[in-house]
Amino acid sequence: MTIGVKKVSLQRSMRDQIFLPAILEGLLTSARHFFKNTMTKGMGDVDTIRYGEPDVDPKTYYPARYRGVHRLMHREDGSVRCVACMCCSTVCPAKCIHIVAEDRRDDAEKAPASFVIDELKCVVCGLCVEACPCDAIRMDSAQHMTPTEERAEAVLGKIELMSRGSRSVAVQGGHGADYRATEPAADPRFPTAR
Amino acid sequence: MHAHAHRLLALLLLVLVGLLGPTACADPPSATRAAASVRTEPLQVIFHPTTGPVEVAIVNTSEKPVAIGDFRIEGADWASFSLVDPMQAGVLRPGDRTTLRVAVDAASLRGPGEPVHGSVVESREELPEIGPNDYRPGSAYLSFRASGTTATVPLSLESPSWTSTYLWPALIKVLALVLAFIMPLASLLTWMERKQSAMMQDRVGPNMARISVGNFTLRAWGLLHIATDGLKMLFKEDFVPRRAHRALYTLAPLLAFVPAIVVFAIVPFGDALCYGHMFDSLSQADVDQCAAGRGGTPLQIAQIDVGLLYYFAIASLATYGTTLAGWSSYNKWAVLGSLRASAQMISYEVAIGMTIVGALLVYGTLEPHALVKAQEAAYWGVVLQPLAFVLFFTAAIAETKRAPFDLPEGESEIIGYFIEYSGMRFGLFYLGEFIEVVFVSAMVTTLFLGGWNLPLGILGAHGFSSALACQLFFAGAGVALTVTGAAIWRASKHAEGVASVLVVIGTMHLVVAVWSMFTGWGTALPHVAVVAVGLLTWGLKVLGLCWLQLLIRWTLPRFRYDQLMSLGWKGLLPLSIANIVLTAFVVYALTPSAPAPAATDKPVAEAGAKPAAPAAAAPPAAAEPAAPAAGRPAAAPTDNKPAAGH
Repeated sequence: MTIGVKKVSLQRSMRDQIFLPAILEGLLTSARHFFKNTMTKGMGDVDTIRYGEPDVDPKTYYPARYRGVHRLMHREDGSVRCVACMCCSTVCPAKCIHIVAEDRRDDAEKAPASFVIDELKCVVCGLCVEACPCDAIRMDSAQHMTPTEERAEAVLGKIELMSRGSRSVAVQGGHGADYRATEPAADPRFPTAR
Repeated sequence: MHAHAHRLLALLLLVLVGLLGPTACADPPSATRAAASVRTEPLQVIFHPTTGPVEVAIVNTSEKPVAIGDFRIEGADWASFSLVDPMQAGVLRPGDRTTLRVAVDAASLRGPGEPVHGSVVESREELPEIGPNDYRPGSAYLSFRASGTTATVPLSLESPSWTSTYLWPALIKVLALVLAFIMPLASLLTWMERKQSAMMQDRVGPNMARISVGNFTLRAWGLLHIATDGLKMLFKEDFVPRRAHRALYTLAPLLAFVPAIVVFAIVPFGDALCYGHMFDSLSQADVDQCAAGRGGTPLQIAQIDVGLLYYFAIASLATYGTTLAGWSSYNKWAVLGSLRASAQMISYEVAIGMTIVGALLVYGTLEPHALVKAQEAAYWGVVLQPLAFVLFFTAAIAETKRAPFDLPEGESEIIGYFIEYSGMRFGLFYLGEFIEVVFVSAMVTTLFLGGWNLPLGILGAHGFSSALACQLFFAGAGVALTVTGAAIWRASKHAEGVASVLVVIGTMHLVVAVWSMFTGWGTALPHVAVVAVGLLTWGLKVLGLCWLQLLIRWTLPRFRYDQLMSLGWKGLLPLSIANIVLTAFVVYALTPSAPAPAATDKPVAEAGAKPAAPAAAAPPAAAEPAAPAAGRPAAAPTDNKPAAGH
């Protein structure tokens, strides 16, 4: 059995050798982009996000599920929703959430005595938000973590995290252990099977 | 923002109406003062002491035959001017023209002279001192009868003063060209380079520099980056390597920058400006007279017969700038860069020289102004010399040392010859490069794109060649401007001001086109309007070619060094020589004058026999009628164009 050798011809055609047709094609391509980007609405094919320009609100560029700086949500009385279940700090791959729990006197739940997130370690994966059972931690603040002068300034405590937060409309504690028995509120997204 | 834009728009409209109003409403001025039925070309004859006989054409512009006759020269210095040939009375049919020639006897106007008999001299101090060898101004007029009325052509003799005829106009032209065109355009190119490349590569480009006064912010698409760049370069550290050759290190940027500006001296940016006839509709004869410096000035800084050789001479000096920059920096990478630069520039200069020879063969002149006139008379260089156009453009881009020929610099990978330069010294290299871009555009415009002329000769010295040409021009320009303006309006809300101005100007063009359709306006434009359109045309051609060069620079990848050399020596050079040979054969075959060699041989032979013969240089056809011109000895060398040649 012989080895098949494929000979690649390096012979260039006349068209290749005089360059000009290929050059003209390239120039036309460039010129097409130029005119499309200068003469059409919204700068044609330019997809640059004009973040940081003075008359541009960056929030208009953020997608709905953009993960920004963390925030802690409030109850109706303004206290923190977090029940110090440690779900978020457990699931956190960067181990940047540190919670110290304390007894919450008014009901049967716990509360964080301190809730610290080291934003320098955070990898912005959003797993803490998914893990949270009571809508206490969110990343929908539409804010970047801004650079800081000191490392310590990037370590956010409960007060700072809550200052970004607002009241959540979710039922605190969910529907309880017997949630299967209770009629769920009509959700327009799902047609009622019954 | 909106209110501001609208106010600006209203202001611009006002200005435009103010500008266009007088132009549009002015009646086409009657050429001759007395008789509207005939026109003379030129309107007025201005002689210099060395000027030979000047042709004056009489054109019948009416619909009826016109009887002309009774030619005479009158006025204060009538004795110094004369008709060369005795003129007979005759009849001019509509549209016909006849020519007569007027000469001046400058010798009779030399010296202070006698006071005119009967004139009252009020104060002797007011009269300028006239030495025995100076010429005093003489004036007379040629008058003739044309269908019952008398038409006159003023004749005058002026002695050209070195300052007012040559120095001041030249200085003003230098300042106007450099300050109002080259430097602004070169600065604009520093921004255009980045903005255009961004637009070609789907990026945003520079847009951040801005001026904020209170609530008002001016961003102007990043145009202010021009100013911020300049400031940055002025305030950066002016670094000199410790072991650099300080004198040469300082001299090198100048040697790169100055030649780039100085070569502009030969670029014609318009035909000529006639001082005294700004609002008259002039004929080509008037403009030619002004272009010769009589009563006007050519729109070109230095009208030298070896113009293109001057270009080669000065342009090759730029090689010194790059070479010395590399050598004096005491940096081996810089030296290598400068070696690449000098090798490249020398290689491509050969090709540039050879490509231009083709144009020389076709148009028969080295003087750029005459070259443009020749293109106006025949076809543009790009039509007659398409191969030379491509070769010249390629080689000229290589001369500017920009991509795809940017091996000397190689800013993205390798290190260039100005690696050690910073601050404004680097700024001179940088700006010099863009000035070269402008110059290449200007040179291509001059050699191949008919200079200031509109295509197909639709705009002559008097105005548009026909009313239809005027309508087509205005309709085309109007549609182009309006469509562009509308596209820009749609594209960006920041550009609404500019876009609305464009649309308004475009609509005004359309209105003029329609108006011309009903009135036939456009064939007799004021001189100043014709000059302005010429300047605008020239500027737009140059700007367009600059855009094209930037497009090329940001599209094509860099040549490898061996590819660069083989393109120069094995591609462009043989092709340009082939172009010369081909052009020479075609020109020889198409030149109608088969006995021409014999005719030109004769004066050369005579010149060999009698080296002192002054008329030997002039073609015999011109010399022959000049001999009985006045029976004067020693026909003065003529400084007007060889009008007698055809």
